[in-house]
Amino acid sequence: MKRHVMETELALYAAGDLPVWRSALVRLRVRLHVRRCRECHGLLEALRTDRQELRRSADDMPANVDWDQLAAEMTANIRVGLAAGECVTPRERKVAAMSWRPVAIAAGLVVLLAGAWWLNIPRTDTEAIGRAIRDMATGGHISAPQEERGPVVGASSAGVVLVENGGRMGIDQGGLEPVMYSVSTQGSASARYVDQDTGQVTITATYVQ
Amino acid sequence: MFSKTLPVAAAALVWSGLCASGQGLKIDFPKDSPVSPLTTDVSPPTATARGGANLIEVNTALSLRNSSQKRIRSMTLMVSAQDAAGKGSVSVPTLDAGPGETFSIHIDTRLVRPLTAGSPVVEVSLDGVLFDDLSFYGPDMLHSQRNMIMWELEAQRDRKYFKSLLASRGAEGLRKEMLSSLARQADSSQRGVQMVRGRATNIDAEREAQFAFLDIPESPVEVSGGVARIGASLAGAPRFEVRNRSGRAVQHLEIAWIVKDQQGREFLAASMPADMKLAPNQSSPVAQDAALRFDRPISIQSMSGFVSSVEFADGSQWIPSRSAMDQPGLRQVAAPSPEEQRLSQIYAKKGIQALIDELKRF
Repeated sequence: MKRHVMETELALYAAGDLPVWRSALVRLRVRLHVRRCRECHGLLEALRTDRQELRRSADDMPANVDWDQLAAEMTANIRVGLAAGECVTPRERKVAAMSWRPVAIAAGLVVLLAGAWWLNIPRTDTEAIGRAIRDMATGGHISAPQEERGPVVGASSAGVVLVENGGRMGIDQGGLEPVMYSVSTQGSASARYVDQDTGQVTITATYVQ
Repeated sequence: MFSKTLPVAAAALVWSGLCASGQGLKIDFPKDSPVSPLTTDVSPPTATARGGANLIEVNTALSLRNSSQKRIRSMTLMVSAQDAAGKGSVSVPTLDAGPGETFSIHIDTRLVRPLTAGSPVVEVSLDGVLFDDLSFYGPDMLHSQRNMIMWELEAQRDRKYFKSLLASRGAEGLRKEMLSSLARQADSSQRGVQMVRGRATNIDAEREAQFAFLDIPESPVEVSGGVARIGASLAGAPRFEVRNRSGRAVQHLEIAWIVKDQQGREFLAASMPADMKLAPNQSSPVAQDAALRFDRPISIQSMSGFVSSVEFADGSQWIPSRSAMDQPGLRQVAAPSPEEQRLSQIYAKKGIQALIDELKRF
């Protein structure tokens, strides 16, 4: 059974473009095969017809065309089209990738600040700040601002405190919680402590002068 | 800015040096004082710069000796800071220190002062000593004599009551009474409260509410017609009418102010002391320019009160009896005396026999 010539070799043969270093041997083999093979001869004739057709079409193009300028204009038009397309296409929301490191650093800072607060800020101060925040949240219904301008005495589970002239005096019993506390309308606050071992009672008080 | 912070920092350093050498705390007792400090090397205060303020902490225990010939029932020390307005006190109302005996008082005070205000020296001085015969020694700068006599009268009343209970019902009767007292103390409600004087007219009051005064028939003073302005977590400007129904002139009285919240819980909100000259059968209005502010939101449903003590012109005092305190509506809210709290703690910690031994001491 005879073997057909490869179609690429046949196309190169039809255009006369077979490589020089292969041309003699291949051209001879292709020529001999085409003479004997009607199928390949027909394909060769079709390729030659297409080639002639393309040449005629090229002859119809305008004369003196600057192909480099034409290519540059086409490239520019393509880029303009792509940019316009981005403008009218809905933009996809970019989801920022959350790394664990910033989260860990922020959590560590929070723990550090909370620890520093707990160790250094007296409970009465913390309560006062909490009250101030609650006051802001409730629109000032709990504490009238005018009252803060005068001396204030207070009694709570944290002991007694006097706030006056930008200073503060607090008295307690070394972390013990009072069993009772109260204020007097004459300007004093008192707290009562009971020693758990001896039963001795101690009463602390602050006074507005 | 540097020119401002430099003197402040220098002042803080100097103050820290003073504190470290013990010079930041001054213990001042009169030379003829019936009590004398045993230790002079008390713990010095510590000073810490905190933001724009200076935190001065005094945490010390004073060992004292009764150098008089009488038994001491109570004592009050005054705590003050130079250049600082306002004062504090530490009192021990349930003492029983005989001549030559020693006792200790723990002082734990914190002062927060602006750095620019300088660094005050903390001074601890004697304000008063009350003996078992109700005689008093001291400058009484804080008017502590009145309170100390009231504590002693309450102690005498309650010791007498518990002794009579022991005699009539035995140890088991005393045990039941102690358990009842401990339960009342555990069930009592408390609210953190602040008091502002001279601002009552500015409070954001919503309405005026009436006091329902509990009448104690034996009380030398009758109180009636009380009202106060109340708002959200606020109460202030109380005013009421008092009448002296005794045959003796009255110069001072105190009324307990009880508040009931929306859950029906009653608690002692404040005491309303009033200085006055009230002749027998004389009536007088009393109005106080003061406001209470509670530290937690509370809706005040109602208010009540009762006369908790009266001081006559001769300095003697009246307090409610145990039977008067047992009337409904009063027992749960009236504060137990310091002596009752001490005795109930002895029972809770050491048992009924220790309590009986304590009652037999005096």
